[in-house]
Amino acid sequence: MILGLAVIAGILSGLFLARWKKETWQPPALKHSWLVLVFFLPQLLAFYLPSTRNLFPDHLVPASLVISQLGLLAFCTLNWRVAGMPVLTIGLLLNLAVILANGGFMPISTETVSRLVPPDTASKLEIGERLGASKDILLAPDEIVFPWLADRFAPPDWIPYRFAFSVGDIFIGLGAFILLAFPAGKAASIQKGSINYVNQPDF
Amino acid sequence: MKTTTARFASVVSKIQKQHVQFVLMALVVLMLVLGAGAPVEGGTIGH
Repeated sequence: MILGLAVIAGILSGLFLARWKKETWQPPALKHSWLVLVFFLPQLLAFYLPSTRNLFPDHLVPASLVISQLGLLAFCTLNWRVAGMPVLTIGLLLNLAVILANGGFMPISTETVSRLVPPDTASKLEIGERLGASKDILLAPDEIVFPWLADRFAPPDWIPYRFAFSVGDIFIGLGAFILLAFPAGKAASIQKGSINYVNQPDF
Repeated sequence: MKTTTARFASVVSKIQKQHVQFVLMALVVLMLVLGAGAPVEGGTIGH
């Protein structure tokens, strides 16, 4: 959800800036977008769709996640020159590195989890187990490879919405924001209330 | 009923190809971000 907010913020900022400049907002012209559709599908089934994520076998998650992210990395590479994509790609690489180093899951330490859930919930979790239907695996702090790249950051305690994120997630959110708020290309014409494409997206 | 139908038809007629492509592009970026990222929400833990 937190990364979804970065996407929404990027779109709104892009629309606001375009209106301020009296231009038409142009979404980023991304090529080979079908790669995203294809390689996101395993993650959609494993982590996001309620009807499938609890049925998805845990032993298939690492391979599915890594293959999915490698496909998304290929897409990012093909669109390297689009503003914001290099930043997003760095984030993806950082996440992929820590996921590969920790058996195909994003590691999260017991200390970080204790900041997300009440003590009685945390006490029922077992080290080495996947956290629900997420990409994360609970590990002791000294078991995590590349601990600074893991899901180790959480918002201040006074924020009721609890979540943990990694350094890679920061880059991904920032890259997505830049991608949408500052897309390349200029409007071919100024038309109030409509969307004009200069660069046709390539699916 | 007629007014509702007329309004619906009016809205649909204004949907252009560019609007559909805009929505598709937003979905592509959203899927890219969700696929690349790995934050975890506290509400999903323990369920």
